[in-house]
Amino acid sequence: MKEKTLLKGNIAIAKAALNCGCSCYFGYPITPQTEIGEYLSFEMQKNNLAYVCAESEIGAINMALGAASVGAKVMTSSSSCAVSLMQETLSYACSDELPIVLVNVMRAGPGQGYIFPSQGDYNQTTIGGGNGDYHIISLSPSSVQECVDMTYKAFYLAQKYKNPTILLVDGLLGQTAEPCILFDNPYKEIDNSSWALTGAKNRPSRKIHSLEPSQNKLNKHILNLKNKYDLIEKNETDYEKYMCDDAEIILTAFGSLARAVKAVVNSFREKGLKAGLFRPKTLYPFPYDALKKIASQAKAIIDIEMNLGQMLRDVKLGVLSDSKVYFIGKPTGNWLKKEEIIDSVENILKENYANI
Amino acid sequence: MQIFSTPKSIKKDSSFSFCPGCDHGIAVKLVAQIIDEMNLQDKTIAIASSGCSVTLYNFLDVDCIESPHGRACAVATGVKRAHKANGKEMFVFTYQGDGDFASIGLSESLHSALRGENITAICINNTNYGMTGGQLGPTTVLGQITTTSPMGRNIEYHGFPIKTAEHVALCEGSAFSARVALYDIKNIINAKKQIKKAFECQLKGYGFSFVEILSNCPTNWKLSPLDSHKKIENELSKIYPIKVFKDITND
Amino acid sequence: MSHIKIDKNKCKSCYLCVDVCPNKLIQKSNCLGKTGEFVVEFKDKDSKCTACAQCAMMCPDIAIVEVVKE
Repeated sequence: MKEKTLLKGNIAIAKAALNCGCSCYFGYPITPQTEIGEYLSFEMQKNNLAYVCAESEIGAINMALGAASVGAKVMTSSSSCAVSLMQETLSYACSDELPIVLVNVMRAGPGQGYIFPSQGDYNQTTIGGGNGDYHIISLSPSSVQECVDMTYKAFYLAQKYKNPTILLVDGLLGQTAEPCILFDNPYKEIDNSSWALTGAKNRPSRKIHSLEPSQNKLNKHILNLKNKYDLIEKNETDYEKYMCDDAEIILTAFGSLARAVKAVVNSFREKGLKAGLFRPKTLYPFPYDALKKIASQAKAIIDIEMNLGQMLRDVKLGVLSDSKVYFIGKPTGNWLKKEEIIDSVENILKENYANI
Repeated sequence: MQIFSTPKSIKKDSSFSFCPGCDHGIAVKLVAQIIDEMNLQDKTIAIASSGCSVTLYNFLDVDCIESPHGRACAVATGVKRAHKANGKEMFVFTYQGDGDFASIGLSESLHSALRGENITAICINNTNYGMTGGQLGPTTVLGQITTTSPMGRNIEYHGFPIKTAEHVALCEGSAFSARVALYDIKNIINAKKQIKKAFECQLKGYGFSFVEILSNCPTNWKLSPLDSHKKIENELSKIYPIKVFKDITND
Repeated sequence: MSHIKIDKNKCKSCYLCVDVCPNKLIQKSNCLGKTGEFVVEFKDKDSKCTACAQCAMMCPDIAIVEVVKE
């Protein structure tokens, strides 16, 4: 067992990427994720790996597309408004079926917003700004330890499903130092020798493209992608449920905010109120079925986010009832405190539930 | 004795999707011939782009990836560097139109040249956006009528066109930059020579190499293939000189 | 006898080869091609072809698939 070390979220991600064989990084600076690129710039040059200070995020994500096409493990990182610039190529990468790991350490928006922490990119990540029927696997860590775990997992899932994967990190988490264990990559290597562009030596040439002028072929291609997404939804949906089994009140949250919500659950339990936390660890695929099951026995579901209710849409889709779903949130700034959340939850209960 | 046959690097039974008389076909054929002559077929990764050149992967029998519009040089950078990180030297070139290379992708293109990225870019300059039906592009010459400059390109209203090969030559990271044409046999022979030189620059690790191919667009220019070649000879080559602008192998 | 071979299925009737042949040995045929125009044919009854291959160099569709010098 390796020892615990004190690491910032951004550095933990960079170290984990190197640990699992990331050989290419392309990026452009933007706060609050710049340390990822800074850390890797030294390590990758030292090890003769590929690192380019790209001319823009558009350049960076397209270099990543190229590197992914040859079968390399590739990562780029950015933040919110600059991830917006990458949407076109993410759609291409989905159609091309290329594994790219994108780390988005969120800042506040819309537009340039500011570097304050926020969870405002839930929609950008899970719905996306690209064109066509596509999905990007999205992982949401809530601690620096999970930044390590999920970086490994992001590379694994990207390779396994030949699909871009986003690690969606709160700005707060990227900047927070916590003890964590940098264990070895637990996932097996995926063989990509059947599709990677390595030169047509002793085999027919290969082509990777999204253009398809035949209507039938394009339909078939999109349906094949859909089958893959169905498989991802079946196999990879992941969540944490805390004290949910007998809970009357379910609190939902993602990312580092879920830790404050967990403390809220503990406080309520001490007071005798049966509360529980439901936290999606994969935002796409979202754990609708698990939430539905838990919600069916609960009286109220209260979604708590550092935005104005983006995951709320998925929570409602999971619960399949608007009548008992409530929302607590604010767009940016200091993270909602335990006490603030408790007050807000109690107000909701007072207004709507005489008996709780 | 066989003087000419279909290049080995052209896919069997493939047929170009270009319009009748389009210089794209001559350019792709030259590239295939050079790949054969330099024995590069199994070491090559080609980057196709958006526009008339997008289906390159259906003709060239080499590994190929299509790039998002304008980003071919960035994709090529990723391909080249990823292989290098893996200890492999591959031959990587882009095949783009002028709209792709010099308009939407100017940033990716020039920054690759500035970095001295060890790749080759081939840019077909036909002075308009061909695939969408002949609109004003970055290289449309002054006075030229297109579907979006119905009264002809003018400086006050549309601004100036770009001289791509000259710009690439100014980048410190570029090793080779030339403009060639395909309107007669002499020029086709010269074009082949310059593309070959550009490829050699990459193989020797000299940095970014670039060939702009001044080409026709008979369909959108509304000229016969022969007349479109005459237009290049008599008019366009005066504006876009056929010349090697930079060749560090000569210095 | 030097000669060329034309693949009529590839010819798009641009006639650039007709113009480029120094001995004018390529001409329009009366056979319609895929563009709805007459494709070209090679006629060399006086054996004037020198296998210079200029037609093959010029042809944008590699419809002149072979040039043979004898």
